[in-house]
Amino acid sequence: MASQQQLKSRIRSVKSTKQITKAMQMVAASKMRRAQEATKATAPYTQTAREILAHLAKQGATKNHPLFDARPVKKRLLIVIASDKGLAGAYNSNVAKIYLRELINDDKEGVKSSSIAVGRKVTQFVTRLKDAELVGAYEDLPDALEGHELRSVLDTAYDKFVAKEIDAVDVVYTEFVSSLTQTAQVERLLPAGSIDEPLNEAIREATFEPDTDVVLQSVVYRLIGAQLFQALLDARASEHSMRMLAMKNATDNASDLIDDLTLEMNKARQAAITQELAEISGGSEAMK
Amino acid sequence: MKLELVTLMGVQLDKEVYEVMLPTAAGPIAVFPGHEPLVSIAIPGVISVRHNKGDADSQLEFFAISGGVIEVTTKNVRVLVDEADHGDDIIEAESQAALERAIKLRDSAKDQIELEKAHQLVDRHMVRLKVADLRRRHHR
Repeated sequence: MASQQQLKSRIRSVKSTKQITKAMQMVAASKMRRAQEATKATAPYTQTAREILAHLAKQGATKNHPLFDARPVKKRLLIVIASDKGLAGAYNSNVAKIYLRELINDDKEGVKSSSIAVGRKVTQFVTRLKDAELVGAYEDLPDALEGHELRSVLDTAYDKFVAKEIDAVDVVYTEFVSSLTQTAQVERLLPAGSIDEPLNEAIREATFEPDTDVVLQSVVYRLIGAQLFQALLDARASEHSMRMLAMKNATDNASDLIDDLTLEMNKARQAAITQELAEISGGSEAMK
Repeated sequence: MKLELVTLMGVQLDKEVYEVMLPTAAGPIAVFPGHEPLVSIAIPGVISVRHNKGDADSQLEFFAISGGVIEVTTKNVRVLVDEADHGDDIIEAESQAALERAIKLRDSAKDQIELEKAHQLVDRHMVRLKVADLRRRHHR
């Protein structure tokens, strides 16, 4: 049995660890609330863009447009979104697992894939893989995200797709379903899919300036931008809620450990007292 | 006429207004209630909003916007932009400093990507500065 001194110092160290994990839990909780609010913010933007797009699609403008060109996929770009920091439970490894699955699939089907990594942990993961081609890495994006932060990721994907260097763009990210459920998944960004939005009567008669093609390009660019932005916001919210849960578990475990250690220490103290008493009574017995 | 200013960060403005001046690719346009339906491209610039018919120029509200899409119907104006900053939130000195930094960045850019980025930054801060300037002139 460990000595009382040793137990005491272990309890002290577990206690300070608990304080840290507790603080991290609080921080993650407040960040999660803010991130959760932010995930809803893009909805009106996406909705408006979709309405205009649906209208353009009705006029047949999307039929031969390069951004809607669904060709056989021989090369594709994967945008992988995870976090800069660890200590968030299975957050990073879930994304990595899905990403790896996609890579293996591509390998089987003879598709050549390249990747853009967002987040330090996932960048490290991709660079360690032997065959993965990394075309871009983004780290330390600010907490309060703004649209222009993603511009270069978006432009890389967009330009390569239009130039036919790649045939598809997919995003691997963690969808924020609720604060209890987050699922890592893959979503197609390009080619842009069909739009089945109900037509908004008010813009049926609209004139398009300078012409439909320019407007279409601008709308689609914004729509995929919004989709990517949404993926990043979702990933953020998921990260914080998973970190919160991981830290809550760590705090609970620390509490349990402290209880166990305290019990053990009390036992050790009691044993020492009993022993001392036995020695005293044994000693006085011998004096008689 | 209702004006909606929609950005990636949410709805910035949703209000009944009398007149909106918008920067489009073909030049600035002013939209009044009953305008013919129109979908057009917005370029980085200043949106000016007149809330009521009799309002003087000093009561205009300004927004600095990045590029986007404009949708005008007879009763509605929807502006879809990546970013919009309210005139009141822009501090002139700060924008001036940011613009100078951006210009320096542009002049020292090593490759095409950096140059492109710097150009966007310069545009962005030019617009913000213009909004700050407009505000100062009108709100003395």
